[in-house]
Amino acid sequence: MKRKAITREAQLLLIGIPVFLWTMIPIYHLFLFAISGRDSATSGRLWPKDPTLQNFSVVFQQHHFYLNHFWVQLGNSLVIALTVGALTLIIATTAAFAISRLKVRGGRLVMNLALFTYFIPAAFLAVPMYKTMGNYGLLNNQWALILAMVTIASPYCIWVLKQASDKLPWELDEAARIDGASPLQLFRLVYVPLMVPSLVAVGTYALLLAWNEYLYAFLLLSRDDSVTLSVALGNFLAADDSPWELLMATGFIYALPPAAIYYAFKRYMVGGLTAGAVKS
Amino acid sequence: MATVSFRDVKKRFGSTAVIHGVSIDIDDGEFVVLVGPSGCGKSTLLRMLAGLEEISGGDILIDGRVVNDLESKDRDIAMVFQSYALYPHMTVRENMGFSLRLRRAENRTIDERVMQAARILNLDKLLERHPRELSGGQRQRVAMGRAIVRDPKVFLFDEPLSNLDAKLRVAMRAEIKQLHQRLQTTTVYVTHDQIEAMTMADRIVVMQDGIIEQIGTPLELFDSPRNLFVAQFIGSPAMNVFDGAVRDGAVEGLAASWPMPPGVGAPTGQQVQYGVRPTDLQLGSRGIAGTVVVVEPTGAETELLVDVGGQQLTVVTHGRVTAKPGQSIKLLPDPARVHVFDTRSGQRLQ
Repeated sequence: MKRKAITREAQLLLIGIPVFLWTMIPIYHLFLFAISGRDSATSGRLWPKDPTLQNFSVVFQQHHFYLNHFWVQLGNSLVIALTVGALTLIIATTAAFAISRLKVRGGRLVMNLALFTYFIPAAFLAVPMYKTMGNYGLLNNQWALILAMVTIASPYCIWVLKQASDKLPWELDEAARIDGASPLQLFRLVYVPLMVPSLVAVGTYALLLAWNEYLYAFLLLSRDDSVTLSVALGNFLAADDSPWELLMATGFIYALPPAAIYYAFKRYMVGGLTAGAVKS
Repeated sequence: MATVSFRDVKKRFGSTAVIHGVSIDIDDGEFVVLVGPSGCGKSTLLRMLAGLEEISGGDILIDGRVVNDLESKDRDIAMVFQSYALYPHMTVRENMGFSLRLRRAENRTIDERVMQAARILNLDKLLERHPRELSGGQRQRVAMGRAIVRDPKVFLFDEPLSNLDAKLRVAMRAEIKQLHQRLQTTTVYVTHDQIEAMTMADRIVVMQDGIIEQIGTPLELFDSPRNLFVAQFIGSPAMNVFDGAVRDGAVEGLAASWPMPPGVGAPTGQQVQYGVRPTDLQLGSRGIAGTVVVVEPTGAETELLVDVGGQQLTVVTHGRVTAKPGQSIKLLPDPARVHVFDTRSGQRLQ
């Protein structure tokens, strides 16, 4: 019995250690660059001779040509990600409620269409999306990116929430109806409170999707003070002589919020996104 | 308080008819139990009364008013579900006050009514707990509390005790009956358990395959079942039934001659089903011969399985019995309490 447990532990470590290294080595190098001076950044050492926080100071004080709009761009990323998260949440929650609980006509069709969108890679739609936003006069407007990201995130979120909704006991709706709840009250007072774990998971998913987006942000936004930080990071590579240490320092800062959010909500992420994955 | 009437109520799911024209009149303050095997349509009937299922034909009236097209919330009914259906995110207090809150009652009124109901149901110490922190019986009481807080015209119960263990079920049965005696609210109660029906009901409606087999008080159903189905469904242990044929004012069956009930006449040769309840067979020195197969003493009474003419009959006698398996005994049916059913129609001959 005991031996079995030890073997099992060993097996887990055998898988765990490579996965850990695989994940952490790039991040470690990112960090290494970020705390190295300009000259020692590519020296190949595992720990810099004179570790410094100078790069972060340059970034925060916007003391570089590529970083002139750092705070604005960070703000853009934040505003866009939060808006996408909130909008997606509203759309997906109401859609899932209508389809799963109110059983509106055409619900199945909507679900099938939502699934169908995943047959087409998002990159395929980039140019049509660019054209569409142009038609509406939204190019270079942050709403273009917000709407595009909501479009991309919603179908998946509707699916996840619909699956989770289906697991709520049907009697709760009936009890609420007999208690006198209108559909809106049912939504507000019973449905949403019970869906919180899934809502957090789905909201975080949409938020991080928008935060990490590069392609659409690059296409739809172009002014320096309207682009997101991900695009600004890409712009570092426009020069022959890129300031790698600053790129990495900025990248490190850029990676912190998702890590924090993920850590804060990890309890919901695993439970929420897999809820409804199996029939219980 | 209110009367409830079903008038030729029908229900179809797609092309399948599940309730074929049911009519019941329930008096003000009456406790009516709908009972039948699963799939007989009893729950569907209740859900139609609750407004949770559309009515395909006929009318349902509450207090003389047709409610067919009325929303659940406008019917002034309260329902207790088998799964309790408590709101998991609300405390007991919030669960019980929810319907009043939706009706925009004043906080003071809500508090008073919830406290009142909580005292009746012994829930006053649990008001701040969540449903997950309660036992099955407590949850069931909260579900009832949620119903009585509103002081509705009609209580509906949909198999409310099925999720409880046997001991608790008996206790809750008495509690629900007490509650009804105290509040005198018209109640419709659905169950598949005939003992629940017998012990709780003022009147029982026995259903099968979407039709009513018989409506009556528990003892009416027990003493004068209209047909074989009701006879076998009501009563525990179940009625002994065997094939027979009428000959010279008696029934020949199981290689013996059984007495006809007084006042019942049937032509010689008619094929019948003969029914006699386990309590209506007495052990004696004369009568129909049989062999004891199993003896099951339960203390107050003894249940015997007796082989008569190749079929096993159940016999229940009060007190102790000295009979041993394999022993020959004589059974004496009480002619006033036996039943004869027409084999073809299943109807009781009277």
